[in-house]
Amino acid sequence: MFAATSAAGTATPKLSVEHARKSFRQANGADVAAIADLSFTVRAGEYVAIVGPTGAGKSVLLDCLLGLKTLDAGQILIDGRPVQNFVREKKGHITRIFQEDRLLPWLSANDNAAIGLQMQGVAEKERRATAARWLDAVGLSSFKEALPSELSGGMRQRVNIARAFAPDPELVLLDEAFSALDDVTATRLRQDFKTLAQAQSTTFLIVTHSIDEAIFLADRILVFGAPARLMAEIAVPSRAFEDRAISDQIKDEVRRLIAAGARVQ
Amino acid sequence: MVDRTGPRPESAGALSSTSVKPDTTASRGFVSRVIRATLPFLVIAILWQIASFYTKPYLFPGLGSVAKSFWNILTTWDLLSQGLITWARLVVAVAVSLVIGIPIGLVMGLSSRVDEFLRPIVKFIMGVPALNWVIIVIIWFSSTELRIGFVLVVLCTPVTVYCVYDGVRGIDRKLTDMVLAFGANPIQHVRLLMWPYVKASAFTAAKLNVANAVRTVIVAELVGAPLGIGKELDLAKNVFDMATVLAWTIFLVLMALIMAQGIEYAERVTLRWRGDSRRRD
Ligand SMILES: Nc1ncnc2c1ncn2[C@@H]1O[C@H](COP(=O)(O)OP(=O)(O)O)[C@@H](O)[C@H]1O
Ligand SMILES: [Mg+2]
Repeated sequence: MFAATSAAGTATPKLSVEHARKSFRQANGADVAAIADLSFTVRAGEYVAIVGPTGAGKSVLLDCLLGLKTLDAGQILIDGRPVQNFVREKKGHITRIFQEDRLLPWLSANDNAAIGLQMQGVAEKERRATAARWLDAVGLSSFKEALPSELSGGMRQRVNIARAFAPDPELVLLDEAFSALDDVTATRLRQDFKTLAQAQSTTFLIVTHSIDEAIFLADRILVFGAPARLMAEIAVPSRAFEDRAISDQIKDEVRRLIAAGARVQ
Repeated sequence: MVDRTGPRPESAGALSSTSVKPDTTASRGFVSRVIRATLPFLVIAILWQIASFYTKPYLFPGLGSVAKSFWNILTTWDLLSQGLITWARLVVAVAVSLVIGIPIGLVMGLSSRVDEFLRPIVKFIMGVPALNWVIIVIIWFSSTELRIGFVLVVLCTPVTVYCVYDGVRGIDRKLTDMVLAFGANPIQHVRLLMWPYVKASAFTAAKLNVANAVRTVIVAELVGAPLGIGKELDLAKNVFDMATVLAWTIFLVLMALIMAQGIEYAERVTLRWRGDSRRRD
């Protein structure tokens, strides 16, 4: 019923990962694979969730997407060109929302939200104004000059989101972005995030262990095995989140696949 | 039955007679704190005063004559200026050690190659006793200011290097990853992320070095400095004027304490973000 939809026709995908491999040498000298022959594509404007067992190499994949780590083999293409070129030419146009807020404790919410723009060399006045608009959008109008230590966990995560949107990114990576928050806060933040995101023409890659979050935010779910490889793709119908029957079916399917793909402990 | 004026059910049991009249308890707390803080000094002063009754004044001069000498230092420009000269040497040396030590510590923290190369050198310099430096500078330099300055700087700089190095190494890996994920180049990385930590460690280094330098500046000044507290102490020693020796000692200790307070104040103002007591979780 929700069989893999092969990525759309002829247009160049926004992101394509082709036969990616990455392993790490451990202290005892043994190589441990983090990514093993991983291939998938993401269309421009698509919302794709990645779920998979802990330690499957999902965060490592995101590091590679940002050009912070390099693959041992295979390639990552953005708009059909190697990601390294993209990162070099369009600095800061791939952004990341972290699980922990990772705000700089000495900067105000406004300056924290402007970090991506600062890296791009945007002048101070302009970047502060842009960041301030994003703080308005995430509901922090009256906390622009607050230090991170003066904000609650949920508020800090809102700054984290504003920081990721402010540089006008083409690709936003979420790495367990709502996992550290309590359920009530997380649900509200997901809702607000979705509303904000849908007003953009950005592409989203959403790593999460919450299948509910994947169903709520994504058009498509990629199920990873460990080490990172594609086990299955599941299309998420737009009514899936409201329709219990559909969402339960997706959840069962994903759980079964994750259990099958987990690294032998 | 206890008279419960402010009905707070969960603390009813704790509302015993000890918590009435909070005003007097607060002021009593302050008085007792002052007494506890001064008691050790009071005991020593009394013992000293007793000793002064039974010994020669050049061994244990009376507290009165020590106080008189101290007052004399504060009110005689010729003497006070000697204290200020020593103070100036100290401040300049600590400042120079920051200027030299911060970049070295920063580069060592950034590059394990540089770290590997410089670490043994820094360790070696740190292991040389102050007195050896004094002898070395007597041979190397003829200018007394250069001699004193060199000794102080060479003693303070390794401390600064280590503080800054630790500060840089202690930066949360997650913040480093964040800054790099947003595309920081090396200069942005240092300016945006590292510099605040370097500033914090520079304050720590300054505090340690002031304490350090106060203890060694006199040793350095004894290398025939024509000015400064060292010379005054030498003069007092020659005439067995123990009261003046003690007065200068107190002067030095107070100088160190006041400078430490000043640095701490500057630190609090500059690094306000570290005092995060207002978290709203
Ligand atoms: N810098 C590194 N050095 C060595 N091993 C690493 C490093 N980063 C990640 N790994 C390993 O790669 C695997 C995948 O980690 P990660 O991507 O964090 O998993 P997750 O899917 O939970 O995000 C883990 O086994 C981890 O130990
Ligand atoms: Mg992870």
